[in-house]
Amino acid sequence: MRSDSKLRVALFSLLGAAGLLAQNSPLESRDAVKVNIPQDSPVNFVSMTMGESRATARGAALLLDLHMSLELRNASPNRIHGVVLRVVSQEVAAGGKASVAVPSLNIKPGDAFPVRIDLQLIRPTQVLAGGPLVQVDLDGVLFQDFSFYGQDRLNSRRLLTVWETEAQRDREYFKRVLAQSGSKGLQQEVLASLARQADQPQLDVRVIRRRAVAATAAPERTAQFAFVRFPGAPVEPIDGSAEISGSEARAPRIEVQNQSARTVKYVEMAWLVSDSRGQQYMAASLPASDAELYLPPGKTARLVQDTELRFSRRNFPVNIDKMTGFVSQVEFADGKVWVPNRQNLENAALLNIVAPSAEEQRLTDLYRRKGLNALVEELKKF
Amino acid sequence: MKHPSQETLALHAGGDLGWVAGWRTGRHLSHCDQCREEVAAFRGLREVLPDLNEIPEVAWNRLASEMKANIRLGLAAGECVRAEEKPLRHTLFSGARTAVAVASVVALLVTGVMIERPGQRPAPAAVDGVVLQSTRGGIQVFDGARALRLLHTGVKEENVIRSVGAQGSMRARYVDPETGYVTINNVYAE
Repeated sequence: MRSDSKLRVALFSLLGAAGLLAQNSPLESRDAVKVNIPQDSPVNFVSMTMGESRATARGAALLLDLHMSLELRNASPNRIHGVVLRVVSQEVAAGGKASVAVPSLNIKPGDAFPVRIDLQLIRPTQVLAGGPLVQVDLDGVLFQDFSFYGQDRLNSRRLLTVWETEAQRDREYFKRVLAQSGSKGLQQEVLASLARQADQPQLDVRVIRRRAVAATAAPERTAQFAFVRFPGAPVEPIDGSAEISGSEARAPRIEVQNQSARTVKYVEMAWLVSDSRGQQYMAASLPASDAELYLPPGKTARLVQDTELRFSRRNFPVNIDKMTGFVSQVEFADGKVWVPNRQNLENAALLNIVAPSAEEQRLTDLYRRKGLNALVEELKKF
Repeated sequence: MKHPSQETLALHAGGDLGWVAGWRTGRHLSHCDQCREEVAAFRGLREVLPDLNEIPEVAWNRLASEMKANIRLGLAAGECVRAEEKPLRHTLFSGARTAVAVASVVALLVTGVMIERPGQRPAPAAVDGVVLQSTRGGIQVFDGARALRLLHTGVKEENVIRSVGAQGSMRARYVDPETGYVTINNVYAE
């Protein structure tokens, strides 16, 4: 009885203290965020608004809640088809960085467009840092003709080029369906895509990059990759494996060979895993580890990563039974890229597993929100 | 309607029930003709038996007859079992207590299994390094007590496509409901 009373007093004290500490205050945008866009940039910074941006003390941690909306203007003579903004906080300089990308744009010269950035920073309260909490830089802009501007610290050129190539592929596909089967045929295709998106099982993946090689337990087994090969693909996978322990995969490595007549400077594999019931999931992409990859025709290279990936679904681990891989993108020395075509994906039954492209996601969302006529009008713009 | 047991009715007929059980049985009798007749029968038996053995000049006989009647009443009550009906007393007290006890034990076991089940929950252990993970409403990179989280505000979770790069990157792709543009949030552990 006496110990119960003590426990209650302690609990109420704790709650009271937490309540006092959980105070919050609004953040001034000028102090919190700095936007760096060069004067000679083809994109001009117009304005920035901060919504409900606040700093909240929670015990020994400070939670900074930033809701920004940047307005940018296309100051170039070309249409903008994609933008990447780099978001860096000195508060988490050791922890990493972030970016917000907007692909599948179609911004005319002189037009303004918004980019929303909603972010939270958590840091210890005792850390005092001068200067802005967050810096936003323009990392890259891709234009309609595939020309590029930007610092490209985050490989924005390649990313935007791949997204634009996929966008052209999928727009062309929907336009072809419209031309061959009319609006009813297009509607059926869009509904099929929406159904696939709804049915695609998504894994929760935790990625760990350790500072030092940890004395981790030996893996239960080394699993070999099975490969899906596409006719005409410039790069072919040869062999690959990863160390598996239950729901954890480490050190994936895949050997690839350049089958094309052009030099390749970047390769990325898609990595699928199956659980013991045979359910297949898109797990991750496996890019080339070497930033200076140089793969002449006929030569081989090895894609290796040293991260740990832990797979779960609805808070329960997904034990890995089998692994499959396929080449998902290739960048040539001249900056042009290759991605699988829709026939490749459809023939290999991958459309049901691999996420739709950003453009397919945008177009099907447009149909969902505004209907068939709006989608047809949108396709006519390209 | 659940009826009191024969035993309870017999004890009620002799005025031998406790206060609460007597009140409850009386309440039941007030609207149950069947049980009222049972009680009346027990009372009649109780009255008749002593008379049959009565020898006026010997007080001992009266006492013995009364004892005999009580014993018979008890035996009769013990042998009367209504198999298809559960006793009122057990239903309201013992049953409820049993149910509460069973529910408590089950809840305790389920909680224990959920908390201690080995290998069934990804345990967020402390990691000497940078971790990327998706959370409800966003993706984040954290390193010890510091974290940066990009949020997809106003978007349903089922409309967000997440992907991971094995080199240490994570993406959340969605259509921004305000701008209508596809937006791709990225966090990096590189």
